[in-house]
Amino acid sequence: MRGIRSRIGIVCSLLALIFTFFAWRLIYLQVLKHDYYSAKAAEKNDRKKVIPARRGRILDRNGEELAVNTPVQLVYADGSHIHDPAVVASVSAPFLEIPVKELTEKLTTKSKYVVIRKGMNDDKAHDMIRALDHANLHGLYLEEGSVRSYPNCDMLCHVLGYVDHTGHGADGIEKMFDHELTGNDGFRWIEHDRKGREIVVYRGQEQLPENGTDIRLTIDMGLQAIAEKEVDATYKKLHPVAATAILADPNTGEILAMASRPNYDPNHFGDATPEKLRNRAISDMYEPGSTFKIVVTSAAFNEGIVDQNTRIFCENGRFAFCGKTIKDHHGSGDLTIPEILMKSSNIGAAKIALRMPDDKYYDYVRRFGFGQKTGLPLPGEISGRVNPPNRWDKLTKSRMAFGQSVSVTPIQMVMAMSTIANGGSLMKPRLVMNKGEGDKVESPETIREVISKKTSSFISHALVTVLSDQGTAALARVNGFTAAGKTGTAQKISPHGGYLENRYIVSFAGYLPVENPRLVGLVIVDDAPLSESMNYGGAVAGPVFSQIAGQAARHLDLEPEAGSELMQSASSGSKSASLR
Amino acid sequence: MSSQNRRRPSNTIEVNFLTRWLVLVFMFGLAGLFFVYLKNQQHSIGDQTREVENELREAEASNAALDAKITGMTSRGALQRRLDEGYLKLEGIRDTAIARITPAQPAEPDGVLRTASHDPDSRFDTEASPRTMSR
Repeated sequence: MRGIRSRIGIVCSLLALIFTFFAWRLIYLQVLKHDYYSAKAAEKNDRKKVIPARRGRILDRNGEELAVNTPVQLVYADGSHIHDPAVVASVSAPFLEIPVKELTEKLTTKSKYVVIRKGMNDDKAHDMIRALDHANLHGLYLEEGSVRSYPNCDMLCHVLGYVDHTGHGADGIEKMFDHELTGNDGFRWIEHDRKGREIVVYRGQEQLPENGTDIRLTIDMGLQAIAEKEVDATYKKLHPVAATAILADPNTGEILAMASRPNYDPNHFGDATPEKLRNRAISDMYEPGSTFKIVVTSAAFNEGIVDQNTRIFCENGRFAFCGKTIKDHHGSGDLTIPEILMKSSNIGAAKIALRMPDDKYYDYVRRFGFGQKTGLPLPGEISGRVNPPNRWDKLTKSRMAFGQSVSVTPIQMVMAMSTIANGGSLMKPRLVMNKGEGDKVESPETIREVISKKTSSFISHALVTVLSDQGTAALARVNGFTAAGKTGTAQKISPHGGYLENRYIVSFAGYLPVENPRLVGLVIVDDAPLSESMNYGGAVAGPVFSQIAGQAARHLDLEPEAGSELMQSASSGSKSASLR
Repeated sequence: MSSQNRRRPSNTIEVNFLTRWLVLVFMFGLAGLFFVYLKNQQHSIGDQTREVENELREAEASNAALDAKITGMTSRGALQRRLDEGYLKLEGIRDTAIARITPAQPAEPDGVLRTASHDPDSRFDTEASPRTMSR
């Protein structure tokens, strides 16, 4: 009996010892080494899954989509889940469009994250995962992403810019508003099982993504299409180095269209050369030529130095001044201010400038916005070049009067012409209507009052005569509307100093309707290989302006003016139609 | 005394005590099983949640892809290409076929309302005008 009891005692003691050991081991693993093993488990199974934010769209003023996102998948491999790389490769290779041998090599890895293919079509990627699941194979996983796509291809490319391989804006609006467009990625801590699937029950902390803001531009794609078509036709027909057109609302400073050639397709920005990438509307400076005469005439009239009765003797076309000769294309005697603008007399403009004090003249040039950036939200804008009076030589003032010895950007010239059109206010150009605020429109911003309404009206009526039969821009007339504008023909500056022979930058800046301007436009054709007798602003850029403005007026549903040439011709047209 | 010694030795079963324990063990067992059942249910619902989330995400992605495709196919560039290729055609609207929603001022004595000229016949012939050019 005693023997049995002692044996039972021994067995119980042993059992107690074993259970004590297990209990201790349990305490050791679960309590003392808790942090260590938790970390080990987390390292193996926990993952911070990024929930990407949707990049904001870019829209035109009417909500037309200009930059959108196309969903794609990134395919990555987790080497620790792949038992037979060759089998996985054979199933997935047709979907990935990678040779089986190459894919097998990629999949033969112990790494937990090897990128196999980026930007894979969404449907195809899911078909591949289904095929792998069907074959009970694991190791290839998807990560959501998107690529930026520009449905209009090369249209408005210089304004929109593009997104680089990191998903961030590299040019244009994409770059300037990258922060707003990008938004903030969210995340979720997940635990996954052996097959890499998330165990939803153990889902950890999560933060939802904040999607990027939509940017609505002031661009009207209807007008943009018109401008693009005409600029493109000019570029293909005349083969210039570059061609640019800008349309804006003179009353609000809103940019309605901006087109440049050469251009590129932002969907394939890698193919673009630096020349094609340049937005010439803001990053090219050029000597404006005669379009700049609006500055000196406005300034002198506004200061009372000249009036409507002032007559300037234009030296019959040749004016010797400080050892140089200023020439006019057509010699004239006495001309009024409107006649100087109509005939584009260099001598007349120079003589007006010479009547003005240096500082006052310089002040007006600056007040019109030249020599400073307009603040348009696009990268690469330059300020142009306007030297202060202390850097002028004897000829500078007279030359500046007809657009030499000064360099401007196309956008500056558009805003200066808007100042004449809208009654004398220099408006801040705007390209962005709002940032994700629906139909809200920011109120126009007036930078400064440059000239009086009286001056603006006087110059405006003078600019109408530029488009008359006696003016330099008869071909810029717009069917059905009274337009105003000014031609410019400037010799190209040689990089070695002086001017290049028979190479011109020709332009036309104008607006319509004169009494209540709704549209201001500028067309620049840079160095078209034409004969010298043909290469004028009125002959080359003027007709392009006419085409653009005529179509734009119809697009904007502007009421044709009574008594205009359209009405006369339309009247005869309708009569002949009724006769038929 | 002797009759007492003759009785077979026996231990009484304390039914109440045993029942209490059995019920307790059963309750613990049941709770355990219920716990496991709930845990499995939770995992199963988690899996369903994941599947639904995946389906939703796939639907959203597919929707976004189709949206992008539609935007691409109806973009101005694409329409212009189709126009050039002859798949689309633009038909001009004659002035007399245009009606204004907003009140218009009849600019002509014939009272025809005109917003703008869509009639190529009525366009101003720029080539006919004399040219005077100057720099």
